[in-house]
Amino acid sequence: MTQVSEGSYIGQNVPRSDGHAKVTGAMVYPSDVIVPGMMYGALLRSPYPHAEILSVDTTEAEKMGAVCLTYKDIEPIKYNERSVSIPAATYRDRTVLPDKARHFGEPLMAVAADTQELAYRAVRAIKVEYKVLPAVFEPEEAMKDGAPQLYDKIYLGDEEVAVHNNIGVIRNISEGDCEAGFAKADRIFQESFELGRIYHNQMETKCAVVKPEPDGSITVWATAQSIHANRQLLGRVLGMPLSRINVIKLPFGGAFGSSIQVNTVTPICAYLALKAGRPVKLVSAREEDFYSHQKYPAKFTVKMGVTNDGLITAAHVTALVDFGAHQVQPLPFLGCTAGWFASLYKYEGNIRFDGTAVYTNKTPCCAMQGYGNPQINFAIESMIDIISNEMGFSPVDLRLKNYRGVGDEFWGQGPTIRSIIKSCGVEQSLVEGRQMTDFDHRERPDTKTGDVRRGLGLARGFHCSGTGGPKEGEVIDYSSALVKINEDGSVDLLTPVTDHGGGTWDALRKICAEVLQVPLDLVGLSPAGTMQIGYDVCTHATRGVYCGGAAVYHVAMKVKEKLLEVAGRLMAEHAYNLEVVRSDGLHQGVVQVKDFPAKSMTIGDIAKQAQNMSWGTIAYTDSYRQRNCPPCFTTHFVEVEVDMRTGVITVPKVLIFGDCGNPMNPDLVKGQLVGSFNRGFGYTVFEQLPTNEATGELANKGLLVDYKTPSAMEMPPIKDVEVILCDTYEPTGPFGAKGIGEAALASVQAAISNAVYNAIGIRFHKLPLTPEAVLAAIREREAQSAGATPS
Amino acid sequence: MNTKHIMKEYDYLKPSGLDEALQILSEKEKVKIYAGGTDLIVKLKMETVPDMDYMMDINGIEELKQVEYTDEGVRIGANRKLWDIETDQRMTSLFPALTDAVKAMAAISVRNLASIGGNFCNASPVADAVGPVMCYGGTLEIASARGVRKVPAKDFFLAPGVTVLEKDEMLTGIFIPTPKGDVGHAFTKMARTKSDIAKLSLCVALARDGGRIGHIAMSMGAVAARPLFLEEISAGLAGKEMSESLAMETGEAVSGFLQPIDDNRTTAVYRKDVTKTMVADALALAWARSGGA
Amino acid sequence: MSKHTINLTVNGKRRTLDVQSNELLIDVLRDRLYLTGTKYGCGIAECGACTVLHGDRSVMSCLVPAVAADGWEITTSEGLAKDGELTPVQESFVNLGAIQCGFCTPGMVVTSTALLRENPDPDEAYVKDYLRGNFCRCTGYVAIVQAVLDAAGKMKGAAAT
Repeated sequence: MTQVSEGSYIGQNVPRSDGHAKVTGAMVYPSDVIVPGMMYGALLRSPYPHAEILSVDTTEAEKMGAVCLTYKDIEPIKYNERSVSIPAATYRDRTVLPDKARHFGEPLMAVAADTQELAYRAVRAIKVEYKVLPAVFEPEEAMKDGAPQLYDKIYLGDEEVAVHNNIGVIRNISEGDCEAGFAKADRIFQESFELGRIYHNQMETKCAVVKPEPDGSITVWATAQSIHANRQLLGRVLGMPLSRINVIKLPFGGAFGSSIQVNTVTPICAYLALKAGRPVKLVSAREEDFYSHQKYPAKFTVKMGVTNDGLITAAHVTALVDFGAHQVQPLPFLGCTAGWFASLYKYEGNIRFDGTAVYTNKTPCCAMQGYGNPQINFAIESMIDIISNEMGFSPVDLRLKNYRGVGDEFWGQGPTIRSIIKSCGVEQSLVEGRQMTDFDHRERPDTKTGDVRRGLGLARGFHCSGTGGPKEGEVIDYSSALVKINEDGSVDLLTPVTDHGGGTWDALRKICAEVLQVPLDLVGLSPAGTMQIGYDVCTHATRGVYCGGAAVYHVAMKVKEKLLEVAGRLMAEHAYNLEVVRSDGLHQGVVQVKDFPAKSMTIGDIAKQAQNMSWGTIAYTDSYRQRNCPPCFTTHFVEVEVDMRTGVITVPKVLIFGDCGNPMNPDLVKGQLVGSFNRGFGYTVFEQLPTNEATGELANKGLLVDYKTPSAMEMPPIKDVEVILCDTYEPTGPFGAKGIGEAALASVQAAISNAVYNAIGIRFHKLPLTPEAVLAAIREREAQSAGATPS
Repeated sequence: MNTKHIMKEYDYLKPSGLDEALQILSEKEKVKIYAGGTDLIVKLKMETVPDMDYMMDINGIEELKQVEYTDEGVRIGANRKLWDIETDQRMTSLFPALTDAVKAMAAISVRNLASIGGNFCNASPVADAVGPVMCYGGTLEIASARGVRKVPAKDFFLAPGVTVLEKDEMLTGIFIPTPKGDVGHAFTKMARTKSDIAKLSLCVALARDGGRIGHIAMSMGAVAARPLFLEEISAGLAGKEMSESLAMETGEAVSGFLQPIDDNRTTAVYRKDVTKTMVADALALAWARSGGA
Repeated sequence: MSKHTINLTVNGKRRTLDVQSNELLIDVLRDRLYLTGTKYGCGIAECGACTVLHGDRSVMSCLVPAVAADGWEITTSEGLAKDGELTPVQESFVNLGAIQCGFCTPGMVVTSTALLRENPDPDEAYVKDYLRGNFCRCTGYVAIVQAVLDAAGKMKGAAAT
C-alpha cells in the first residue's frame, strides 16, 4: 500500500486523542456503565475442583428479592467461548451454567438484586448439595488410565467426539524429513523446558452490563476484544436474532488476551437481565477473575541437529499442555505453537511437532500475549544459546545463519495460514545490537567472580500481524470500516476494532486522515456497536493496525474515489485529473487539479455543494481481508545482575529492537515494547500460580497480595531502557505498517534466562527464575563441585 | 472472602476522647479498633475477623496521633500515621532503623492511612515496624478504664494475631529511649517486590565499645509465629570484638536457630539460607554506622 | 448494622450522605456520586487504581469505610483539572505516552499529584518509590515516571517565571 505523503501524521508522535478523558477519569469503561434501574449481579462459584451438583435450592435467595439463575434456566447449548477459528476447527464443551463443577471457582449459579450487597448475600443464601468427585491437576496424571474424567464427549464442529484419558487435542505436524535432517547433523541436542501458568492481571476485571430494551432487543457493554464475537455467541445461546443484540464498543482496562473469547460472565449477565427484565451489571471481583482464565502452561522437549558449521538441519518439538477444565481453543494453540517454532529458523525444512493438550480440573486457559509464542520461544531461543555455548558459535552468527527472513515462509497462525516474509528487521537488530552491546566481547560465565555477577543475553522473536493469508485457513480474518465525509469537511470513521490501550484507534484515524488528506482532528472516531458496523474477528494476533487499518485504508480509498468523482462534477474536471492534499492553513482537505493547484475546492465545500445538489453523502462501507500475515520481529539484549547470595535477579539495562514496519506513532510502539518487557520480566522472574491440590484452590486464593508483578521499582533506570525501531516498510501493510503488540513479549523470557546463564553459568529450563529457584540451583552446583573436588 | 464488599455486619462507633474509647472497650463486647484500617479492612474482606460487633474508630482522638520528644526518648501516639513517622527528620536521625522499616512498608497511599500502633496490634509475625522498636528497647503503653500499664515491646506478642492486650485494653503509645553512645542501626528486608510484605526482615541496633560490641539487640520478622527478638544470640555478642568472621558466625548461628515455614512468599530453606547473609551484612552495616572500623 | 450521616467535600462540593457502617468510600464515590474515575482493581490496596486525595495525601479508597471519611476533603481524578484545563501532571501523562489502557491512569495521576505537592523537585528514584504501589500492567512505568519528572520540570519553570 502506498507511501505516506510529506507532513503526514503517520510516523509522528501525536498525543493520544483519548488521553484527556483518561487522565480526568471521564473515560467510561464497561465496569463504569450505569443504567437507570440497573440491578447488580453476583456469582456462586464452585468451592470444589470437581463436583456434581445434586440439588439446588434458591428459595431463600428469592425471598430476599433476588433473581436467581441456575443451569435449569438456561438452554444447554454447547459452545466454545472463542470464535476466532472456523466452527469445524472449534471444540465445544461448555454451557452458560454447568450442572457439574470442573474447576475451583467455576461459576455455577448467578443472582441479580437491587444492590450489590444484596446480590452477594443472596448468593450465600442459595443451598447447593454437591457430590464431590476426585480431581486431577497435572496433565501426566490426567492422561493415566483410571484418572478422574472431566468429559465423556464433546463436539468438534457438529460432530460428537469421545474424550479418552482427558486428552482434548492431539496435533502432530511434520514437514520435510526429520530423520534425514538429524542424520546430516554433526551434533544432536535435546533439552526439556517448562513454563507454568500465569495470569493476565489486566487491570479491569471481567464484567458486563446488559440492558433489555423496550423493543425486545438488548444492549451490551462488556470487556470484549471483539464486539461481534460477543454478539454472535449471545445470539446463539439466547436464541435471539443478531439484529436484536447491540454490543457496544468501549475501551476497557487491559486485555493481553483475557477477553479474546467471550468472557464467561457475559452470557450469564445477559440471561440474568432477560430473566429479571431489567438491566444487570456483573463485575468480577479480582479473586474471581483469577479463576476466569489463565495463560497456557507448556512442557516442551526440543531436539535439534546442527552441523559443525552451524547449520540447523532438523528440529523436533514435543509439547504437553494442560489447558484446564474447558477448551478455549487448545487446538489452534497447538497449531500456532507449531507455527512459531517452524518460523523461527529454517531447519533445512525438516520439522516435526507433536502436541498434546489435556483437560485438568484447573481454570481454563486462554490466549495471553503471544498464544504459545513466548512459551515456545523460551524453549527454542534457550536451545540456540545452549548450542552456541556448546559448539562455540557466536549466538548472533548462529541466528543470522539460520533465521527465516525475506522470501521465506512464515506461519502466521498455525500450519494453515502462511505467507511469504516481505519485510524483516532481524539482521539490523542482531548486527546493530551486537555492536551496541559489544556482544562478542562479553565475558564467559566461568571467568566471573564476586557476590553480584553481571551477564548479557540475547534472544529474538516475532509474532504475526494478523491471521490473513493468501488462502483461507482455520482462522477467520477480516475487518470492516465505514467512512463518511460530513458537510464541513470533517470525517466520521466507524470501526469494529477494539483498542486495548496500544493506540489502535488513533492509528486508524491517522490512516483515514492520510488517505483523505484531512487534518487529523477532523477525523472523528464514532461510537460503534454491532448494529452499526460490519464484522471484525477480534483485536487479537497483533492485527489491529495491520488488518483493521487495512480495512480503513480500503474503505477510505473508496470514499476518496467518490469524493474525486463528485469534485470532478463540481469542478468540471475528470476525476483522474484531481488529487487531494491537506491544507493546514485552511484546516481542510483540498481537492485540486493536478499540476494546477490554483483550481481547487475544500472537501467541506465539495460535501456541502453535493448536499445542496441532493447528490447524497460521500460515504462507503465494506469489509477487507489481508492476504498476508507478516511477522513483526523483536530482539532483546538484556543485562542482568544475579546476587549469588540471595538468588535475586535484577535488570540494570535492556536494549530492545522492534520491527513494526513503518510505525504509526513511534512513542506508542516504544511504549508497547517497554510494557511488554516489564510483563516479560514478571513472567520470567516473579509470576506463578501454584494450586493447592488438597482443595483445588489457587495458593494465592486469587489475591494480588500473593501474585507479584514488577513495579516501577523493578524496572531498569530510564536511561538504560533503550528501544530502537527497525528501519523497515511492509509493502502489504497500510502505509507500510505491521503490528508489534504480541511480538514485544516473545523473546523477553529467553533473553533474560540467557543473560542469567552468561552471569552465573547455570541454565534454567523452567520458569519462573524466582530467587528461591536461582539460589537452589547455585547451592546445588556448589554441592556438586564440592563433591567433585578430591578430598 | 469478598474484596469488593465487607460482608460482616457491625455497628460503627467514633469516640471523641480516650476516656470514652476506654469506656466503650470496658462496656461492650467484640469491639475492634479502627485506626488506619489497612489491616482490619483487608481482614474484614477476607472474613477472618470472627468476633466483631463494633468497629471503634479512634481517629477522633487527637492525643493518639501526637509525637513527643524528651531527653529520655520519644513517645509516639499509637495512631500516628506511618507517613508522619518516616518524614519526621528527628525520628530519622534518632531511630533510622525505624524510619527505614516504615519506608519499606506497603505503598504511600497505605502508609498515609496506616498507624504504627496498628502494625503492633495486628500482631503479624511479619510486621516491619516492630523489630526496630524491640531492638531500640521500646516500651508499649497500654490503657484501659482500669489504668495504664507498660509492657516491653519484645513481650507484647503471644501468637499470630494475638498480643497481651486484654479485651478492655488498647495500645495508646510507644516509648523508645534515645540510644546512647556510639550507636549503629540497620534494618534490612527481603521481599518479592519493593512494595511487599517481607520474606525476611532483620533489625540490628548496637552500641560500640571501642573495637568491641557493647550492647546489641537483633530481631527478625517472617521467620516465626511472632516477631522474633533474638535475645540470647544478641546477649552472646556483647563484649566480643567485631570482625568479619564474627558477623558470619552470627549469621550461621541465627540461621541455625530459626525454624521458619514455607508460605506463599518463600520457603523455609530460602529463609534459613539468606538469613546468614542478611545477618552478617546488617551487623557489618550497623557496626560501620556506629563508627566502627 | 449502624447507619450514619456523613459530610464529605468531594472535588470542592459538599455532599451529605447516609451510609451504612460497612460501606466503602470507593463504592460511595463510584455508585452514589457517579465518580467512576476511581477504579476497583483488587480491593486490598495492592494496585492503587482506587487512589484518591484526602487533603493533599493519597489514600486507597478501597480501604476506607465511608463513615470514617466523615469530614474529609476528597479530590478524585475528576477534580484535578480546573475549567477543563489539565494540570501539568495530567498534561504530561497525555503528551509523553504515559497512558495505554488508562485504567490505572486516574490513580496514577492522583498519586503523582500528591507526590509533587510533597516534593516539587523529585528525582527518578523518588518517583519510582512513590509510585511503587500503583500497578500498571501496560506501560512498564518508564513513560509514567518520565511524565511525572516532566510535570515537575514544567511546574518549577512556571514557579520561576
